[in-house]
Amino acid sequence: MSVRRKGPRATAVRALTYMLLVAVAAIVVFPFVVAVATSTKNSQDIFNYPPTLIPQESQTIDPAEVAGVDGDEPLALYAFPDSESPFALIDNNVSVGEFRPLDDLDRIIRLEMPAGEATGEVVTIDGGEEDVVTIAVDGQTIETYRSRLTSGGEFVSVDDPADTRVELINLAEPLEQFGPRLENFEEVIVDKDLGRSLTNTVLVTIAVVSGQILTSILGGYAFARIKFKGRGPIFLLYLGSVMVPFVVLIIPLFQLMLQVGWLDNLAALIIPFMFSAYGTFLMRQFFISIPTEIEEAALLDNASRWKILWRIMVPLARPAIATLSTFGFLYAWNSFFWPLVIINSGNPDGRVLSLALSTLGGRGSTDINLVFAGAMIAMAPPILVFLFAQRYFVENSASSGLK
Amino acid sequence: MAEVTFSSVSKQYTDGGPKAVDSLELNIKDGEFMVLVGPSGCGKSTALRMIAGLEEISDGELRIGDRVVNDVPPGDRDIAMVFQNYALYPHMTVRDNIGFALEMAKMKKSEIKERIDDAAEMLGLTEYLDRLPKALSGGQRQRVAMGRAIVRSPQVFLMDEPLSNLDAKLRVHMRSEIIQIQKRLDTTMVYVTHDQIEAMTMGHRVAVMKLGVLQQVAHPQELYQRPANLFVAAFIGSPAMNLINVTLGGTPERPIVSFADHTIAIDARAIERYPQIVDRIGTSVVLGLRPEHFSMDGDFDLPEDQKVDFDVELAETMGAEAHLHVTLPVPVVELDGAPIAAEEGDEISTTTTSVIARIDGIHFVRSGEPVRLGVKTHLAHFFDPETGLPLS
Repeated sequence: MSVRRKGPRATAVRALTYMLLVAVAAIVVFPFVVAVATSTKNSQDIFNYPPTLIPQESQTIDPAEVAGVDGDEPLALYAFPDSESPFALIDNNVSVGEFRPLDDLDRIIRLEMPAGEATGEVVTIDGGEEDVVTIAVDGQTIETYRSRLTSGGEFVSVDDPADTRVELINLAEPLEQFGPRLENFEEVIVDKDLGRSLTNTVLVTIAVVSGQILTSILGGYAFARIKFKGRGPIFLLYLGSVMVPFVVLIIPLFQLMLQVGWLDNLAALIIPFMFSAYGTFLMRQFFISIPTEIEEAALLDNASRWKILWRIMVPLARPAIATLSTFGFLYAWNSFFWPLVIINSGNPDGRVLSLALSTLGGRGSTDINLVFAGAMIAMAPPILVFLFAQRYFVENSASSGLK
Repeated sequence: MAEVTFSSVSKQYTDGGPKAVDSLELNIKDGEFMVLVGPSGCGKSTALRMIAGLEEISDGELRIGDRVVNDVPPGDRDIAMVFQNYALYPHMTVRDNIGFALEMAKMKKSEIKERIDDAAEMLGLTEYLDRLPKALSGGQRQRVAMGRAIVRSPQVFLMDEPLSNLDAKLRVHMRSEIIQIQKRLDTTMVYVTHDQIEAMTMGHRVAVMKLGVLQQVAHPQELYQRPANLFVAAFIGSPAMNLINVTLGGTPERPIVSFADHTIAIDARAIERYPQIVDRIGTSVVLGLRPEHFSMDGDFDLPEDQKVDFDVELAETMGAEAHLHVTLPVPVVELDGAPIAAEEGDEISTTTTSVIARIDGIHFVRSGEPVRLGVKTHLAHFFDPETGLPLS
């Protein structure tokens, strides 16, 4: 179909087009990539600044590999700018004193306490009196005053056990490595009870999709091939109902469910959605496109209407059924508003995935990684379905099942 | 096996609308190969579908064997049909396609298999049994459709233009195959076609229809040689019979026809077949000459007054024969207000008549040359231009 133009101008136009497309694609894909990354990050990594797209975890070292250290816990590794060797954090709660030399007040020397010898002299710094303390640095004795007492960490070089230093932990640069945390998924399913919602959603989806397929096949076949009084007007009415937006139906449907007693009941998510005007229309269009001769041949072969439908028509309508299943699946899986309305008493056993997710990610949620893990679980099936059923999607969008 | 009888059967799709089939009287004998032929819209397919039970019968009575089947559903009529597009079940293998009817009849598995294998062997389909229809060629699909019909050993076979989707070579081949199968099974066959060559070569008898009305039922040879009216005369034969508006003259002993500035004497044997000629001298009639009734001057011993001089407009050489096209300045023969040879949508000049003469291929005639042709007028046909009926 496409006409390929040639020449430098056309090439430039094409290059520009591709660049634009790639750029737009990148913009569209970016949030998804962030979601995937976040869903596998650990609880510290999500707050790291600057944020990364790749989930990170701290590099650690077995204490046995660091000379002069006992213990079982792995030690975190840090880097300092003046040394090539990584440093293991062997004690993260060391009392640290900050000393400032009297002849260079901007310089800070940190030493593990207790350190320094009080001389008894007093100096006045910024209007306050401070004790003068002498400390030994690099073999020299310097007069200083102690500006702060805080807590820091003691680091030891992995390569040189003699090289130990005391630093504030947040000033040291932690060494990190690629480390996805897959436990997030387990945690969100078990601890956050997403498993129950997942089961509910799967149940509802299967019921809705199979119900829709069954009713659409029967209805579509009747509209396509069985002559009955009022077929035209009824079909028109049926089609018209597709045009009514769902929001209009929420209150009457809610009242109906109330009367039937299905509030907070999965039945309210299943039964009303097993009948699909759109599906019936789709199946009718497809059945109409199957040559009547095939059916007539079956009639001559002494097959009943019922047999013709299930042995001949339905196998031939597989593309339409696949399309219908895909749409039904996506609708049932993603529906949020109706469950929110009807499953409303706070009974968590009746919740579906979309509801559970909104609760999980609600106000005050700090487990962003778990929220994203839940979102990934909710997203995976539709994406898989789309990948496998893409063909039917596209075909349907193009032709409404008409071949 | 059974005979099929139409007793004044009519079909109207809408109340008061035109009749697709109009009071059809036709008896198809047991074991007969009956061909229904006619241009599109003549009602031949409707008649066939009425036998199948796929069209309701508006009026009249249809019998298969001794049973009136007007209200019998298709599946209970014990008939099998081959459709123009074969109507194979696309999702079933050849085996399942052929066996579907048997399965519906709840036949035993072992017998179904046996019957499928027999039918497949008869049609040379054995190695394709496990294929899907889409993996078959047109000819093979056609055979599967045949197999589906054969396997049930029905009382009547119905075929609705089964060969029209095949290429010319395959069509000729399948034609003879169908004839042989029918001969072997000796089952009543009703075969619908618009191709008059198929009709002529295949049928024991041929029923020619036009606008829902049966025109003539006869053996193909009789249809060719004794057409019952102008329509049949024009429809049967390829190239078609030349029909020319002429004026009868001469004497009752030696009548002559004249058209444009040509005259041809009529042989006495023609008068035997068309005795009304004598009474019509001095009036206008339609002369029917088949292309082979012309011959090159000298090929046959014909009297001088049975020869005409034509200017050949176009000479088509076919090897064994040559077709000479001649245009005569004579108003074209009309039937029901339309040029007779016209197919729907054709643009045909109504002020001239084109004539095709078929001569022996040994003669070398060039387009644009004058020729002298002999006319075997003892074989000529004569029709009344008003009624279209023969002058017999």
